[in-house]
Amino acid sequence: MSAPMLMSERALRRDPRYWLARIHALPRPESGVLRIMNVCGGHERTITHAGLRQALPDYLHMIPGPGCPVCVCPEEDIHAAVALSLMDHVIVATFGDMVRVPCNAPKREPRSLQDAQARGGRVVPVASPADVLILARQNPEKKIVFFAAGFETTTAPIAALLSQPGLPDNLLLLLSARQTWPAIAHLLDSDEAGFDALIAPGHVATIMGADQWRFVAEKHALPTAVAGFTPELLLQAIHAVMAQAARNSPQLENCYPQCVTAEGNARAQCLMDAVFTIQDAPWRGIGVFAESGYACRPALAGHDARVHFPQVFNDAEARRGEMPAGCDCARVVLGRITPPQCRLYGRGCHPRNPVGPCMVSDEGACRIWWSSGAVTPTDRAMA
Amino acid sequence: MTNPVIGTATGHDEFITLAHGNGGRIMRRLIETVFVRHLGNPWLSPLSDAAILPNRLESDHDLVFTSDGVTVQPLFFPGGNIGSLAVHGTINDLAVSGAKPLYLSVNTFLEEGLPLAQLQQIIASMAEAARACDVHVVTGDTKVLPRGLCGGIYFGISGIGVRPRGLTLGSDQIQAGDAVLVSGPVGDHGIAVLLAREQFGLSGTLESDSASVLPLTQAVLDLPGLRFMRDPTRGGLATVLHEIALATGLGIQLMAEQIPIRGSVQSVCDMLGYDPLYLACEGRVVAIVAAREADEALRLWQDLPQGREARRIGTVVPDHRRVLIKNEWGGERTLQELEDDPLPRIC
Repeated sequence: MSAPMLMSERALRRDPRYWLARIHALPRPESGVLRIMNVCGGHERTITHAGLRQALPDYLHMIPGPGCPVCVCPEEDIHAAVALSLMDHVIVATFGDMVRVPCNAPKREPRSLQDAQARGGRVVPVASPADVLILARQNPEKKIVFFAAGFETTTAPIAALLSQPGLPDNLLLLLSARQTWPAIAHLLDSDEAGFDALIAPGHVATIMGADQWRFVAEKHALPTAVAGFTPELLLQAIHAVMAQAARNSPQLENCYPQCVTAEGNARAQCLMDAVFTIQDAPWRGIGVFAESGYACRPALAGHDARVHFPQVFNDAEARRGEMPAGCDCARVVLGRITPPQCRLYGRGCHPRNPVGPCMVSDEGACRIWWSSGAVTPTDRAMA
Repeated sequence: MTNPVIGTATGHDEFITLAHGNGGRIMRRLIETVFVRHLGNPWLSPLSDAAILPNRLESDHDLVFTSDGVTVQPLFFPGGNIGSLAVHGTINDLAVSGAKPLYLSVNTFLEEGLPLAQLQQIIASMAEAARACDVHVVTGDTKVLPRGLCGGIYFGISGIGVRPRGLTLGSDQIQAGDAVLVSGPVGDHGIAVLLAREQFGLSGTLESDSASVLPLTQAVLDLPGLRFMRDPTRGGLATVLHEIALATGLGIQLMAEQIPIRGSVQSVCDMLGYDPLYLACEGRVVAIVAAREADEALRLWQDLPQGREARRIGTVVPDHRRVLIKNEWGGERTLQELEDDPLPRIC
């Protein structure tokens, strides 16, 4: 008897309806609502595209937080990449999303890498660091600048690339990589965190370990669960934080043990540590977070675009903080407002003509909400 | 027998050169040993300026005429190549219009440097696809472009077919309450081509669905409740449904769990951030059928080898003008119009 019962329990756990029923069976929180933040564009995509907000109890507020690396890439790095792409001997290689991210440039100047490309700039979209290596070997007479924004999940393969023996001399890195947790620490240390529970990012935790998020539960006493990316895995994590809230016993729960361990991927961490240091770093429109950015170690100076083109970065630095007029991406990223609460959302800013990065990237909350049908400010119930 | 074009003896002619488009002897040899060799028939083979065709038009039929441009990278992919794809694409445009295709014209744009062996293979596939559908390539033209000006080979292809007079098929026939049917899994072609590009370090056994849909369209043509058919190519299923919503002012309500999607297609999409509902198919049909005949249409499709996985995936509704998709646990979202070429996401 027991074996088939176990099997059916396992099958049940793969059905979103099982978790929805268990969530609905939990008591409503005493405070009236429970605000659950996620920090991964992949989580936000699943929540929105699977319509979880409509299926979940209305006292759960699912808040997209800082989960889009493209969205937090500082504006000065985009200015620098645009300038580099227009130099004769340079090709800028970057992940597809970055090509369209706008910065605040005067009308006659290119405001994105796509604009630069139309004016003769050389920009090549790539899907992986391996593509950059091929590009560098195919174009020995050019400098290949790999403009890489990303969280730990993207940073690890870049570290692997840089660790390869025989790295071509013409391959340079413009690194805009960030750690994810400092943004959450920043929110939690502010007067109003804006959330009562956290869904921690499964991909980041695969690399860095679930324990990286322990501070949320132990220092700040907020229910925390690491989640996978399918609707049922997310619902399982949502159930976990709700149950913690109901018991009033915040802790770190790993709801994605299929991929995530407490310590993470030691080899990846070792590779990253060998080539990168951690330093204070600016986040687009938000400001500098302590110890939130990766930078090339001095031994890699020969491959560091920031060292190779100091003038370009000095010029770009002067434009830090210049944001497109009316763009509220920074507050969307921090979960302070929902996408439709931005004045530009669906009016001046949509995927055809994005004003800010959140409407460009597939990881951006605005793009995700828009592509799910919340197309105007009055549509907010849709997402 | 030594092929005079491939020229194994001298090795001169292993690649397309500008001379293959010069109008002279070398070009004539190319046409004879590649195009006429594979595609030859009583109307093409005289190589006259225009094909003189027998009138196969029955008195109670209308002519149906379509035209298509075909480019794909890479030229060869699991399940087909640009030659078979070109024929299937044009035949399918005629088929979903309710027509039986009869004749094709093929304009070929060759890039200097294209290996002749590849051209042979592409035109042989084209001929095989046409033969399988009882369609004849009756006229054509060949141009050679300098290296760098075209991705190996492009086709401009037109097709003529006939269909019964009085057949009323079109978006203006669609009514609220009609059923939405799809003839098989969506997104196979898009993902097969993506994998063939080997850009993402992914590989797999997935084949393109590139095929003629003529058996599918002919099977349901006699149903009085058949309103509309379309093959969801570029932009995929979601784009066809958008066009319907736009043309009719009606909405489409889809049931997510009913839409057939292969596990491998969904996995690649999950990894790269694509939505299979927006990926190209090259051998599927979307049909709008009166609800009372939906089961019959589905049975007719499922009886065919290419329609075994056909499903009823949704309903035409009067209460909105969107394409909405609802899953089995009550979540709902709008499928937006495709904005730009989907790019792989970065983490």
